[in-house]
Amino acid sequence: MRWGMVVDLSKCVRCYACLAACRIEHFLPMGINWPRLVALETGGDSPTVSTYSVRCNQCKDAPCVEVCPTGATTRREDGVVTVDQDKCVGCRYCVVACPYQNRTFLSKDKDQGFFPGRVVTDFEKAGKKLYKHQIGTTEKCNFCAERIDAGLAKGLKPGIDREATPACVNTCPARALTFGDLDDPNSEVSRLIREKKGFQLHPEYNTDPSVYFIDGKIGQSDEPKVDDKADKEPEAIGVGE
Amino acid sequence: MGERKVIKTTCKGCHGGCGVLATVEDGVIVHIEGNPEAPTLGTMCSKGLSSIQHVNHPDRLLYPLKRTGERGEGKWQRISWDEALDTIEQKMKDSIAKHGPSSIAVSQGTGRGYNEYTHRFARSIGTANIITPGYICHSPRLGLYGLVTGYGRLYCDYHGWGGEYPKTQISWAKQLEISSADGEMAVWFLNSLKHVKNLIVVDPRETALSSRATLWLQIRPGTDAALALAMINVIISEGLIDKEFIEKWTYGFDKLAERVKEYTPEKAAEITWLKAEDIKKAARLFAIDTPGCIQIGSSLERQANCGQTLRAIICLLGVTGNIERPGSMISWVPPDTGQREDFFTEIPITDEMRKGIVGSDQYKMGAARTAHSDTVIKQLLNGNSVIKVWFSVGGQQILHLANTKEVMEALKNLEFLVHVDQFMGPMAEIADIVLPAAHWLEIDDIFDMHPRFMIEAHNRVVDPPGEAWQDSKIFNEVGKRLAPKYWFENVEKMLDYQLKKGNMTWKDFSKKVVHARMGKDQIYYKYKTDYWRKGGGFPTPTGKMELYSTVLENLGYDPLPHFQEPGESPVSTPELAKEYPLILTTGYRQPFYFLSQYRNIPWLRSFQKDPVMQIHPDTAKECGIEDGDWAWIESPRGKIKQKARLFPGILPGVVMATANCFYPESPGPLHGLLKSNPNVLTSNNHCDPMYGSPDLTCLLCKVYKAEDDKEE
Ligand code: SF4
Ligand code: SF4
Ligand code: SF4
Repeated sequence: MRWGMVVDLSKCVRCYACLAACRIEHFLPMGINWPRLVALETGGDSPTVSTYSVRCNQCKDAPCVEVCPTGATTRREDGVVTVDQDKCVGCRYCVVACPYQNRTFLSKDKDQGFFPGRVVTDFEKAGKKLYKHQIGTTEKCNFCAERIDAGLAKGLKPGIDREATPACVNTCPARALTFGDLDDPNSEVSRLIREKKGFQLHPEYNTDPSVYFIDGKIGQSDEPKVDDKADKEPEAIGVGE
Repeated sequence: MGERKVIKTTCKGCHGGCGVLATVEDGVIVHIEGNPEAPTLGTMCSKGLSSIQHVNHPDRLLYPLKRTGERGEGKWQRISWDEALDTIEQKMKDSIAKHGPSSIAVSQGTGRGYNEYTHRFARSIGTANIITPGYICHSPRLGLYGLVTGYGRLYCDYHGWGGEYPKTQISWAKQLEISSADGEMAVWFLNSLKHVKNLIVVDPRETALSSRATLWLQIRPGTDAALALAMINVIISEGLIDKEFIEKWTYGFDKLAERVKEYTPEKAAEITWLKAEDIKKAARLFAIDTPGCIQIGSSLERQANCGQTLRAIICLLGVTGNIERPGSMISWVPPDTGQREDFFTEIPITDEMRKGIVGSDQYKMGAARTAHSDTVIKQLLNGNSVIKVWFSVGGQQILHLANTKEVMEALKNLEFLVHVDQFMGPMAEIADIVLPAAHWLEIDDIFDMHPRFMIEAHNRVVDPPGEAWQDSKIFNEVGKRLAPKYWFENVEKMLDYQLKKGNMTWKDFSKKVVHARMGKDQIYYKYKTDYWRKGGGFPTPTGKMELYSTVLENLGYDPLPHFQEPGESPVSTPELAKEYPLILTTGYRQPFYFLSQYRNIPWLRSFQKDPVMQIHPDTAKECGIEDGDWAWIESPRGKIKQKARLFPGILPGVVMATANCFYPESPGPLHGLLKSNPNVLTSNNHCDPMYGSPDLTCLLCKVYKAEDDKEE
């Protein structure tokens, strides 16, 4: 089992919804974004600049794990790289080590609240109780490990059942994000990577990311996709006559 | 953990429509996400999700306020709702007694489910002087589509309910994927792209879609009619028309064919700055790979040739038979609850009301049910204003109307201005009374989406702050005082009334959340049935789809579409173009703002702090501007500053400025209104003859480096 994500660059419309969903899901401090939208050169035969929805790659050979002196950053069995806020001492080795700049050190100035010096909203207060953010430690995308774990405990499948799937994947209006098990050749992520020549960011770093990108084209029907089958006939909801 | 419940509701962070699940714990919203059971399939955008920052926002208006100092001086006194309503009632009654009901204007922002109340309220007190942004956003489409379908709606069939999806799609001056009025439609549109063969994008700059489109037409702003007419020319001359549809179901084809003769692809290429070959290609793709649809953006309605541009595009649909066919453009049948407009159209506009509409003598299509905003402004300036009392809800006309400085002057001459809003902004600052409004997370109401095949429920998730009221309640309470026979004991009764045709109460509907006519309950090819007309046909005077419009002819307009240069352009005003050599368009939208909204929502503001204008690197170089510089954009009306973004994807010589921006955090009364708002640059002198729409997206300007971002 190795959780992975595929980002379809042709589908992504650069709408920022994934950033917003992650903020809500994890009550992110005002100055922090786990996922980001960045402009980069695409892969493929004729590279152009595209905007990528990026987040921690959950690298298989993660430099951040290697450099962490306290064992706060670890790679779980399922491939998710996590940070234990209680063990992290804020040395920031990992921030430097991550070649993708996917880690943020939560300094005090990044946690001033939505409306600094004016009001602490109910949502922020609730967040303090429901989700831990420790000033002086390092943070990053955790592939919504909480959702994965809680979902699996209920017998749900991450990437298929919404409750067990990352928040950004669920909210994406363009359906540009796909989540699933990279070790399962029949999973949608594996199929997309295989059939659409998925690529990792900077393979030369030798970190083996679990996030892949594809850049299929809109408007030029290429190979049929699994999700191409005609949509299920929607139910007519409550129309009398 | 305390009591936790999940409330199903509907977002209207934009025009809205996305299904929402809001989790509430001990009375506090702890989570928001899309509702997977809703037709939007569990997706939500950044605006909708960040709505959570409206709750407890420290700048929310909490109580009714009355002005105590000079207008715009920022001196306010908290008053009770009773006092506020008493004052409004008295002012309106006095004005009606002295000047007649037409002296009262009711204005709104985007028609997001509260326009039923603004219109009903206005009509109930005997005025049709309703001021809406409609004439620069969607009303021209409604009116001109109405000449085809009767009820004024034609939408792209992204749903495939008739068994086919659009094979060719044209996204014309539109970014439905991010700047959609209805975010809900973005989801369906993006889904339909799985089935598309050709995607044609008409846009002066590169977008997420254009960079992957089959064909991208980088057009000169304001020349779209020429493109559409040339496409028709190609389709006719190459014999690609839908012969059967044209012969059986259209009127005036020969006259249209004669008209488009002058619009050869070569001539259109000259006008539009496109390649003749590309125009031909677009025409062929659209005519051959049918069914197809055209998603039009409101940028085309911010131009003084808007009526004829839309007519040309409608004729393009007509000659290709892309009407009412599955996968083409269709007028959806509303659910059994009817259209929500019924709530106000049941009070007809009388002849007297019609006579009182400001601008109705001139703009016969636009100022038939609503006033012409720019004429209202001109009258206020000239001291001959019909309007004395203005009741403003939501939208800030001071921002979105052309020529901001004139608008500011004009509004000072009002006898009485009430503004209803969630925050103190430039419009509220100059009001006499300000009323606090509730946010969508705080209301019980009915939502109706643009394509009208469903209604959805807004269910109250948390209580409004302080004494804020939902719009429906505000109108009901003012309405009861001025025209009691049209108003209701309370909001719930009013909602029940709006649902009665569907045999539902508000309580039933509130649980149901979505009430829709989808799938096989929709009717395609209405013109082949008795739906519009016994024996088949369109609901038009000739019973046909009028390529040659007898309705427009009777009103004195050109019955056939034509192209006209913008009021200011290198072609129409070459002298002016010497001083202002660049083309200015003010249509730049970001996915995380909705028109003038949300620059005060910290999460959304974090995505882009300053208003940005896009300019081609070559053009920027000529102007001495580098990426990230603050730049002056100047027109004959004035100058503003925006941050320059050098963007190779934009047509050289064109400046794309961010629309409707102000700085909520800057001090009142202006809140930075004049610093970056492109309407400081726009003109209200050159307007579309049918709708009165001014040229907002095709003007002239010059651009040069600004030393800093300071406000002058
Ligand atoms: S939500 Fe989806 S479409 Fe929007 S920016 Fe993120 S990945 Fe792209
Ligand atoms: S992307 Fe960076 S933070 Fe994430 S696992 Fe790889 S090295 Fe670590
Ligand atoms: S996977 Fe979860 S934690 Fe990572 S970016 Fe998406 S929402 Fe945020």
